[in-house]
Amino acid sequence: MDVVTGIMATAFLAGGVLALAALGEVLAERVGVVNLGVEGLMAMGAITAIAVVTAAPNPFLGFAVALAVGLLLGVMFAIATVYWQANQVLCGLALTLMGTGLAGAIGRSYSGLPARATFERVVVPYLSDIPVVGRAFFSQNILVYLIYLVLPFAIHYLMFKTRHGLNMRAVGENPAAADAAGIPVQAIRFWYVAAGAALAAGAGAYLTLAFVPGWSEGVIAGRGWIAVALVIFAGYRPWNAVLAALLFGVITSIGFVGQARNWPVAPALLSTLPYLGTIAFIIVPVLAWHKIRRRMAAPAALGLPYFRDMR
Amino acid sequence: MDSALQPQDIGGPGTPPIVLLRGIAKYFPGVIANADVDLEVRRGEIHALLGENGAGKSTLMNILTGIYQPDAGEIIIDGYAATFASPVAAIAAGIGMVHQHFKLVQAFTVAENVHLGWSETPRRASASQLEARTRALAERFNLDVRPDARVSDLSAGEQQRVEILRVLARQARVLILDEPTAVLTPAEARELFKALREFRARGNAVIFISHKLDEVLEISDRISILRGGRKVSTEDTAECSHRMLATLMVGREIVLGNYRNRATQAQAPRASALSLAGVSALDDNGRPALREVDLDVRAGEILGIAGVAGNGQRELSQVLTGLRPITGGQVLVDGKVVRSLDPTTFAGLGIGHIPEDRLRSGIAPSLSITDNAVLREYEDAPVSHGPLYRPRAAVGLARTIAGAAGVAVPDFGMPIRNLSGGNQQRLVARREMRIARKLLVAAYPSRGLDVGAINTMLRYFVELRDAAVAVVLISEELDELLNLSDRIAVIYEGRIMGTFNTEDADMETIGLLMGGQRQATHAPLHMTS
Amino acid sequence: MTWRFQRFPSAPAGAALASRIAAIVLALAVGGVVLAFTGVNPIPLAGEVVRSTFGSGFGLEDLGLLMTPLMLTGLAVAVTLRIGIWNIGADGQFYMGALCAAAVGLFVKGPEPLMLVAMAVAGLAGGALWILVPTLARAYADVNELITTLLLNFVATLIVYYVATGPWHERGVMTLGSTPRIRYQLPEFFGSVHYGFLLAILAAVVMAAVLAFTKWGYEVRFSGANPQAARFAGIPVRRRIIVAMLVSGAIAGAAGMLEVAGTVHRLQGGISNNFGYLGIMVAVLARGSCLGVIATAALMAIILNSGIILQTRGINTNTVLAITGLILFFTAIGDEFAHYRLVTTDGKGK
Repeated sequence: MDVVTGIMATAFLAGGVLALAALGEVLAERVGVVNLGVEGLMAMGAITAIAVVTAAPNPFLGFAVALAVGLLLGVMFAIATVYWQANQVLCGLALTLMGTGLAGAIGRSYSGLPARATFERVVVPYLSDIPVVGRAFFSQNILVYLIYLVLPFAIHYLMFKTRHGLNMRAVGENPAAADAAGIPVQAIRFWYVAAGAALAAGAGAYLTLAFVPGWSEGVIAGRGWIAVALVIFAGYRPWNAVLAALLFGVITSIGFVGQARNWPVAPALLSTLPYLGTIAFIIVPVLAWHKIRRRMAAPAALGLPYFRDMR
Repeated sequence: MDSALQPQDIGGPGTPPIVLLRGIAKYFPGVIANADVDLEVRRGEIHALLGENGAGKSTLMNILTGIYQPDAGEIIIDGYAATFASPVAAIAAGIGMVHQHFKLVQAFTVAENVHLGWSETPRRASASQLEARTRALAERFNLDVRPDARVSDLSAGEQQRVEILRVLARQARVLILDEPTAVLTPAEARELFKALREFRARGNAVIFISHKLDEVLEISDRISILRGGRKVSTEDTAECSHRMLATLMVGREIVLGNYRNRATQAQAPRASALSLAGVSALDDNGRPALREVDLDVRAGEILGIAGVAGNGQRELSQVLTGLRPITGGQVLVDGKVVRSLDPTTFAGLGIGHIPEDRLRSGIAPSLSITDNAVLREYEDAPVSHGPLYRPRAAVGLARTIAGAAGVAVPDFGMPIRNLSGGNQQRLVARREMRIARKLLVAAYPSRGLDVGAINTMLRYFVELRDAAVAVVLISEELDELLNLSDRIAVIYEGRIMGTFNTEDADMETIGLLMGGQRQATHAPLHMTS
Repeated sequence: MTWRFQRFPSAPAGAALASRIAAIVLALAVGGVVLAFTGVNPIPLAGEVVRSTFGSGFGLEDLGLLMTPLMLTGLAVAVTLRIGIWNIGADGQFYMGALCAAAVGLFVKGPEPLMLVAMAVAGLAGGALWILVPTLARAYADVNELITTLLLNFVATLIVYYVATGPWHERGVMTLGSTPRIRYQLPEFFGSVHYGFLLAILAAVVMAAVLAFTKWGYEVRFSGANPQAARFAGIPVRRRIIVAMLVSGAIAGAAGMLEVAGTVHRLQGGISNNFGYLGIMVAVLARGSCLGVIATAALMAIILNSGIILQTRGINTNTVLAITGLILFFTAIGDEFAHYRLVTTDGKGK
């Protein structure tokens, strides 16, 4: 495999983690709730997947249980932030601490071991013979197709082409208007936040079942935070989020190539590239694209609690 | 005092009223919003709900539309008891409301807003589909809207039309309008009234909330007056007069005071306190907000600025107080050009500012009353000596200001947001008056206040005027301006359309100028520069 | 007469304190139950933790050593929290402060007192520099500082790891990621507790005083509470916020320097034991109060110390992290609940 195809293949694989987590966060933030617990959710999803797969070597089962765990944690978070109106930032940070801590504690016995079952490649006939793109994309595991094709399409269609999507976006923009129009604001917020959390946990499962694969302490390494940043950068749009994640995947991939080929930069410093890149990605567009600001603007009511019966 | 019920033409005798509220009550912390309110709205009538700010009109309607739950009482629609657990139920019962602060999603288009939360919206709907449907609806109800426009780009009048279209599309039989003319020019208001009469003619009902006596007398069939959360009475409009309604609204015989009587002799000519010479300025979006404004404010006078909200008043008040840079012209104080246009300079020159949006610009709601009270004077003794700030002296100053404002404060350390809106405004006004040696700019100072607080505010301005301080009063209440100001300037799209001595001014002319029309009159206008 | 819970715009201090205590107790209870499920009996464990912490001089020394960085990172976060800014990067600023201080300590020669001062200055500078980019991004481009400060944490950790295992690595020794011992060290006054402890307390008191008793402090508080109203009065909001954030970064950097010069005496890969993140807890529990940080840092130190003791009994320190998260979660919920009061409506209101 030549260098470019290699880089792209790794990029798709690496970016998949961020893409899935970012898609989940798009769902939550579009209904006005900032979920900063993505890092903890990913950790819990990651360790759940490993634990399940070690007991029963079926990666699909591991993925599914991870989604369920994420959903459960998401419900807990949603009750606190949507129904009880607790501060979203604090609850998110708390969720990250809880998730990272709990996963770390459970993960001790699995640390460093290879995953007993992983997602294998599914080669798409014909399409995988296209030079570069074919080998890079169409010879990946099934989750990659899900994350890069199915999910963003489904989410985009839902949000922008259906009646339900219109109502759902209104909840994040102006919950008072949505409420007055008869839209069940709290219910929509609750379910989308929970669903977003499930996807975040799924991203963790993807990490340990398809990317690394396997668990070790600190394996998430801030990817949850990068995903949250990516959502801002992507203007809260699903296709943009997936593309941004892919871009990240490319940066990470280049870092790996650098390490493998013994570039003169120390591996630790190469590892800083994704984080520095994310920061640049958040800051630079704001400075450069004044006009795009409106199109990429955050939902107007993001992060604000909604009290209907308040003077 | 209920007038004798007359048989209605529509529906025949014995038809139940379309909306009947009995014994409605609603409480908020420290406030009785509604208590024991009865309201009967018949088919084919425009029923006005009159009361001053804080009387409970909006709360009552929020209950009728399912946004609030009543603490007591019942809602009866067409003779059947109903409970509206949420807005969906009220909409289904045919009740639609156009709120004072529009419930529109600014980032969405008109078409998207019209179709929001509507069960008749097709499940799969593209933008063009929604726009086509919206166009059809607009034609059906004879309302002029642009389906593909983004709501944030629309004028207030256009946004209101979108709100009305939304409500009518959902087969509303009861249309509730909350202070609809606040954002309309006189001409747009007339259009609205025409549409309301058409709506009534089809056998529907309108509940028209207002505190403006003129409008209420013009458009309604019956008037219910609310005061202090209770219903005072329901009258046939034909039997009402200005004075009678005003008395019922306020609860006592009020003399519509002529504040323009002066405590001391008027001396003419008065020196110029501040003047704008050809001043232009941009708004927050970079669009021209003020265009070559010439304005002269004289010491010891109250200058009223009349105009529909959104015509540059905000930017004007900011330019007058150094909060906004100008792109052309000069600002002169005492005849001398002011070079550095920043709030500190203007405050130092003795210019105070009661801002339009007190919660956003005037106070920090989470900080203590003391912190907010000393905002203008914290840099000087006795509050500060050099770099040091002395909290005890600050509390002393806060006490002085609260005392002058007549606000009883149990604890100066508590967040200012715990105080009522009226008390907050009184404190801000007194705070600004202390530094206003030369000029006080008051932008919509009566907004959201009850008559007691408004009267206090107006008396403050008279106090300043009598002390030879100039006051610029920006208001949407034309009667308030006519009552109080010595001169009135009309602003439209950032231009001063004309300035008049109040005694020579007439409502008709001012109304036309507010709408942007320069008219020809048979009598020469006494225009002052 | 009907009873109802009504939300009020502010939560009284008493209610907030009560809800915090309840949150901590509840979180510890949940933690205890979970431990019981895994076969460990929590009650005797708790007793042992209390005995080890308070019953011996070593225990108290450990508390003092843990409190020092926590007070400072907590102070750093509290200062920005008061003005509505989330400095989640205290950990990274800690690392960079430690790195700069270590650089001075390892490579510059001079008399000890002078060198310690130089290291302190380096620590302050390192922390401030590390928050500079997020500060400017927030002040000029309105970019949310939460993510930018946080991502820099990871970068800082990697940089310190790199120098501790690479160019500054102690040669000829098998220790994994550590520099040689730094010869300048802060003097101790109680066992192994060094003067950094007192300096941290002093810093908290000074910051509290500055915020309450200076014009600058007033302006910073107002700028954070409502920047638009602050601008209305002519306060240079941007300048105040920039300086406040830089001060916050510097304080966190100082925490790193004290850890290097006082406790560890080397620059190591994992020199911050999550002190930056725990600083957020400390600040939130103290409701942003600079003086309150001293008390909550003590509480956090007790919790951390318990974790270390538990480790000797085979329980993962990650459990402590999880329980800390639980405390934060319950505190966030409790803070909201504290806004509600029971009111009666008796037909006349009130």
